[in-house]
Amino acid sequence: MKAETVEEEIISIISEVSGFDEKEITTEKNLTEDLEIDSIKAIEITVALEKKFKVSVRDEDIPKITTVRESVELVKNLLNTNNSQ
Amino acid sequence: MLKNNKTKYDAIIIGAGISGLVCGCYLARSGMKVLIIEQHDKPGGYCTSFKRKGFTFDAAAHCFGGYRKDGITRKVFDNLEIDKKIKIKQYNPSNIIITPDSKVSIWADLNETIENFQTIFPEESDNIKGFFNCLINADHSFFSQLRSWTFKNLLDNFFHNDKLKAILSAPLLGFLGLPPSLMSAFVGARLFTEYILDGGYHPEGGMQALPDALTKIFKEFGGELRLSCLVKKIKIKNDKIAGVFLDDSDLISSKYIISNCDARQTFFKLVGKERLKEKFYHKIKTMTPSMSNFILYLGLDGYFESLPEHGTTYCFLKDYNLYKSYQTIQKGDFENFEGHMLRVLRDTSTLLSIIPAPHKNKRFWDNNKHKITESLVDKIETYTIPNLSKHIIYKDAATPHTLNRYTLNYKGASYGWAGIPSQLAVPDMRKPSFVEGLYLTGHWTTLGVGISGVVYVAHDTAKMILRKERGKFTESL
Repeated sequence: MKAETVEEEIISIISEVSGFDEKEITTEKNLTEDLEIDSIKAIEITVALEKKFKVSVRDEDIPKITTVRESVELVKNLLNTNNSQ
Repeated sequence: MLKNNKTKYDAIIIGAGISGLVCGCYLARSGMKVLIIEQHDKPGGYCTSFKRKGFTFDAAAHCFGGYRKDGITRKVFDNLEIDKKIKIKQYNPSNIIITPDSKVSIWADLNETIENFQTIFPEESDNIKGFFNCLINADHSFFSQLRSWTFKNLLDNFFHNDKLKAILSAPLLGFLGLPPSLMSAFVGARLFTEYILDGGYHPEGGMQALPDALTKIFKEFGGELRLSCLVKKIKIKNDKIAGVFLDDSDLISSKYIISNCDARQTFFKLVGKERLKEKFYHKIKTMTPSMSNFILYLGLDGYFESLPEHGTTYCFLKDYNLYKSYQTIQKGDFENFEGHMLRVLRDTSTLLSIIPAPHKNKRFWDNNKHKITESLVDKIETYTIPNLSKHIIYKDAATPHTLNRYTLNYKGASYGWAGIPSQLAVPDMRKPSFVEGLYLTGHWTTLGVGISGVVYVAHDTAKMILRKERGKFTESL
């Protein structure tokens, strides 16, 4: 999957879950402060990302994700690891 | 009637359960033209009350949680100024868990509860403190980490003592119909925090007061509620919501449909199987609904010595092996299931007892209702309220079949989809991506159970719709 597509897909998922328009979701946005992602929405996003990209996010990586960019990076890294295996 | 049906609505909500009503209040308050359609003759869904022989009984939901300062139910109810319509009180202790070896009370004061557990399990003192503090202060990432855990995994992470683990899980078997080894840790942790550590809230006059107050608020904001009215079909045109058809009407147009009825009905019957992708159809078909309940209603002749605390939910557990108890009940073997949950209201002289119940056909319940009722009364008398049978004036019970008949929840399921890890946050179960303008709210969304859970989903659904409509309506959330 192309890098731009990964980002677009993630923004689309965050948009679906948060209700914010895709145009408003830029990579520097903070998930909690700017996009009002609470604990339930965090679960919705994590589950949706795992299903969409067929990856499994490690529990210890979850607290490190605070922005849209960090979630994109995380998924890209997981996809790279999957591909190199 | 026909003239009315020609009116165009901004949003139609199918089902006047708590989630449908709360969502309706927010949308109507923002200026949207909203219609709620309910098949029953009163609003509330599982949160209703009924009168028999002078007694008022809560039908199913008998208390709610999450009403502490900053709790989700409190935030929403304060925001809708529900306190101007009804008085809400908290019973203290909210829960008492009784086992053959111990009796633990859950107090409104968390420290008191912690001390109570520590006295009984001194060797787990630090773990008890750690567990409760972790639930109360959990951040977002903690819950996300629990998404694939079971509640048993979570308990094993904190405790060694199996009896303590069973005691902490017992009310959840009562409130959710699942043993810890099957229950999602996220669902369990939330329910424990909202319903056990901050539970026992009850509106004066009975649970019906809650939907009645929300209905009043909804109508004051210009909302319209039609009772005893069944939606037959959701009309979709070019992958967009067009409106609904009732039993006897033309199309009632609407831009949004919010379904507060069960997901199978929403997708298979109202949307139509033919509109679903094969994979999604199969997904819903293979998902597991939650357990139902068998509910006993007793009218008593007044106060007597052995009567339990007023308003407190008692949870009696005879066997510490909750998985075994769960299997027993799944088989419909009520004779060998020794647990029960009960709540007595002294001011109305009523007793409500709830036990989990499997999905069986109507004939099973017709044949067994009487037997199960008598055996439950016997067990309550043996284990929790001596001499109970001498004080009974009125006795009746609801079976899963009854729950289905009044609410149309699939198989009388009490908590939407079963709260197991594989059924958490299922995509498309809240806002199906293949139809624009269709939302689900309530306990079938795989996100929230109990009143606090469905209130959260309702508020969030309204927020999503209003965000989409930004500029057109006042966003007053």
